[in-house]
Amino acid sequence: MAQFSSSRSSQHSQSTGILLSNVSHGFDGTAVLTDITLTVSRGETLVVIGPSGTGKTTLIRLLALFDSPDSGRILVGDTNLWSLSTDERLAARRRIGMVFQEPNLFEASVQRNVSYGHRVRLGWRARLRQWARRLVGDSSSPVVEETLEVVGLADAARRSTGSLSGGEAQRVAFARALAYDPEFLLLDEPTSDLDPRNTAVIEQAVETARDDGLGVVVATHDMQQAERIADRVAVLLDGRLIEVGPTEEVFTNPEDRRTQRFIDGELLY
Amino acid sequence: MSIQRRGFLTGVSITAVSVAGCLGSRAADSPSDLGELTVGVTTSTYDSGLLDALHSAFESTYGVTIRAVAGGTGETLARGERGDVDVVMAHARSLEDEFIQSGHGVNRRDFAYGDFVIAGPPDDPAGIAAVDTASEAFSRIAATESTFLSRGDNSGTHVQERAIWDDSEASPAGEWYTEAGLGMGETLIQANQRGAYLITVRGNYIDLRDRLDLDIFVEGPVTGGDPALDNPYGVIVVNPARHDVDYEIAMLYVGFLTGTEGQTIIEEYTIDGQQVFYPNGLSKDPNFDQYTPSDES
Amino acid sequence: MIETTPVGPVTAGTLFDANFLLVDVPFEQGYIESIIRVSLLVSLTAVILSTLVGLPVALAVGFTEFPGKRLVVALINTGMGLPSVVVGLLVLFGVSNQGPLGSLDLVFTREAMIISQFVLATPVVTGVSLAAVTEIEDGVRDAAYVMGGTRLDVALVTISEARAGIVTAVLAGLGRAISEVGSVLIVGGNIVRADGTSVTRTLTTAIQLEARQGRFEIALLLGGVLIALVLVINGIVLRIGGRRY
Repeated sequence: MAQFSSSRSSQHSQSTGILLSNVSHGFDGTAVLTDITLTVSRGETLVVIGPSGTGKTTLIRLLALFDSPDSGRILVGDTNLWSLSTDERLAARRRIGMVFQEPNLFEASVQRNVSYGHRVRLGWRARLRQWARRLVGDSSSPVVEETLEVVGLADAARRSTGSLSGGEAQRVAFARALAYDPEFLLLDEPTSDLDPRNTAVIEQAVETARDDGLGVVVATHDMQQAERIADRVAVLLDGRLIEVGPTEEVFTNPEDRRTQRFIDGELLY
Repeated sequence: MSIQRRGFLTGVSITAVSVAGCLGSRAADSPSDLGELTVGVTTSTYDSGLLDALHSAFESTYGVTIRAVAGGTGETLARGERGDVDVVMAHARSLEDEFIQSGHGVNRRDFAYGDFVIAGPPDDPAGIAAVDTASEAFSRIAATESTFLSRGDNSGTHVQERAIWDDSEASPAGEWYTEAGLGMGETLIQANQRGAYLITVRGNYIDLRDRLDLDIFVEGPVTGGDPALDNPYGVIVVNPARHDVDYEIAMLYVGFLTGTEGQTIIEEYTIDGQQVFYPNGLSKDPNFDQYTPSDES
Repeated sequence: MIETTPVGPVTAGTLFDANFLLVDVPFEQGYIESIIRVSLLVSLTAVILSTLVGLPVALAVGFTEFPGKRLVVALINTGMGLPSVVVGLLVLFGVSNQGPLGSLDLVFTREAMIISQFVLATPVVTGVSLAAVTEIEDGVRDAAYVMGGTRLDVALVTISEARAGIVTAVLAGLGRAISEVGSVLIVGGNIVRADGTSVTRTLTTAIQLEARQGRFEIALLLGGVLIALVLVINGIVLRIGGRRY
C-alpha cells in the first residue's frame, strides 16, 4: 500500500500531543464523562474501548473541539485550546481529522469530498479561481489520488458518492479526513457497519497513518479490533477512565477487575 | 467537458441573454427632456381607446411623455388626493365636485361628453321598450323585479345609476338587484349571460356589440334621449399647492384636451364606425375662471 | 417615438409577429415582447433579492436555537400566504407621494413592483429553503466543521447539500411573483406608452386588462404565454441542474 507521507508530518514529529486534563462533560444535566485525564501522542494509535453509551463519542467529539468541556482543560503543550480566539482555534482544528461511524459524505464526486479539507484552507481568491476552473474542466490533484490509494480506491476519484457501497463510502470518508495532512486522526466506531474486508482496509489505513507520524484515536467496542490495531488502550466505563496502558499489558494483565470482565465479554450492556 | 457542465453553461448563457434583453430597455425609459406627466383615468375611459389617440398626438406635438394610469373612479380620485398622479380625468360630477371642494384639485374643465344607455335582454321582461326616461325605466324594472346588474363599485357609471334610482323613487333592493364589482366590459358580458338589465356607457356597449345579445331600450342625450343619462367628462389638475405637480405641463395637457387639436381628435374618434365622445371643451364664450362647485351641486 | 427593437430572445419576436394561434392579435408590434420583458425583469429581480435575503435567514433560523423560534417559523409560513393586493396596498402607502418614501418617486415604477414582489416572494423562498436545509443531517454538517471548515464553510456545504430543495424554493418564489397581479397592479399602475410599449404592465396585469374589457380569448391567450414562459424558465433550471432531477 502506498505510503501516505508529506514532509510536514515528519517536521512535526517533535510537537506535543493533546492532553485532556481532568475533563468532565455532560448534556442536559446528566454527566457523561467524569474527570478524564488522557494524552494523545503522535505516532501512536490509542484505542478507547468500552461498552456502548459510556461516553466514547463524547470523548472523541471533545478531542475534535466540537464543544468546550464543562470542566477541565484541553491542552496542546501549554496552550489551553479553549482560551484561544475562534481563529486560533480554527487553526488547531485544522490539524485534526475525523471519521464518523456514518460516512457523512457530501453529495458530490469522491474527488470533491476528498479535496474538501484543502478547499476550505484556500483564501477566497484561490477558491474563486478554483471554482471557475471547475466550470470548464476537471481539476484533479495528486494529493487526492495519493490519499485514495491509501484506502485502495485510487480509481474512484470521478465517481459520485451515490455509486459507492457502504464500505467504499467509509473508505472515502477516511481519505477525506487524511487528505489535508492532519496531525491527529480521530475515528468514532469507524468499522462497526462494515464487512470484514472493508474493516481490514480501514485498519490497514490506520496503521499507515500512524506509521507516518499521526496520532490516531479510535473509539470502539470491538475488543478484537482494539487488540489488532492499538498501541495503547484506554478503558472507559460509565464515563470514567478505569485503565490506560499499552495494549499487551491491559489485555493480559489489567489492573482493574472490571477491565478483565469487559475483555471477557461481560459488562457490554 | 461533461454533459452536466455543458448544461450549466447553456443555461447560464440563455439566462444572461434574456436578462440582458430585459435590461436593454432601460435606456428607452427615461422621460423626454421636456418632462413627464402622470394622468389618472377611469377604466371605462381607458378601455375606450380614446386616450391612445389623444396621448400619441400630445406626445408628438409637445415631446412630453405621458404615463396613463387607469383605475376605478374612486381609485383615480384617491390617487389624485395622494398626489401620485398629476392630472385626473373622470366622469362622476358629484365626486369630482367633492374632490375640488376638499382642495385636492384645481382648474376643472369639461372636455367631452358621452352618454349612457339602458340596455337589457331582447325579450324585455320589464316592458320598457316604449319608455323614454331612465327613471321610469328603473321604476318598471323594480316593479317587475326583473334582473338588474349594477357596477356596484362607485364608478362614474355607478354614481349615475344611483342618482337615477333616487329620482325614480323605486328602491334597488331585492334578489333581482345584483352588483358585479367589475369593469364595464365584464359587467356587460355578465349581464348578457344572465339576461339582466343594466346601465352602460354607450362606448363600451358599441365596442362589444357583436358579442352581446342586449338591446338598447332607453337612449341617452347623444341620440336625443333622456338627459339624465348624460355623461360629462372632466379633467382636473391636482392641486400644486398640495403636491409636487409640474403645473405648467399639466395645464399644457388640459389646454391640449380642450383646444382645437384635442377636440378634433375626440370628435373624430370612433368605435366600430360610431362616434362615442362629443367634444365640448371649445366654446364661443369661453370661461377662464376657476371652477368652483356650488354647495348645492 | 421610442425605439422598441427587442434585444431579448429572438424566438419571442418571431412568434408574436405572426397571427398567433389563429387569433387576430390586435396588438402593436412589440407589445407582447415588452410586457414579457417587464414581467421577467420585475419578477426575476425580486426573486434574486428574495433568495439573497431568504437563504441566509433560513440557515440562521434552521440551525440556531433562540427564544421565539417557533413564532418566527410560523410567521415565515404565514407570510407565504399574504394576499397580494394587501401587500400592494402596504407598499403603495409607503412609496406614494404622500407616504414616507414619497421623495424617492417610486410610485408607478418597476422598482416599486420589485419591492412588492420581493415582499411576496421572500417568505416563500425562506420557508421552503428552511425545510430543505433542516433536512440535511447533522452528521454531514459536523463533517464539514471538523474537517476544518468555518461556520461559513458549513453554511455553504449545507446549501450545496440542499440544492435541490433550494432550487424548488426559488422556483416557487418565482412562480408566486410572476403570476400575481394584485400587487403589481396597485403599485405599478399597469402603464403602457402611447406606442404600445410597456412601462409597468406585466403579463398578469395585461391579462386582467383584457378580461376587464371583456376580451376573454385574448386574456386566455396571454395566460398561455405566461404559462409557456414559466415552463421555459423551469426548463432552463432543469438544464442547469443536470442529471440531478
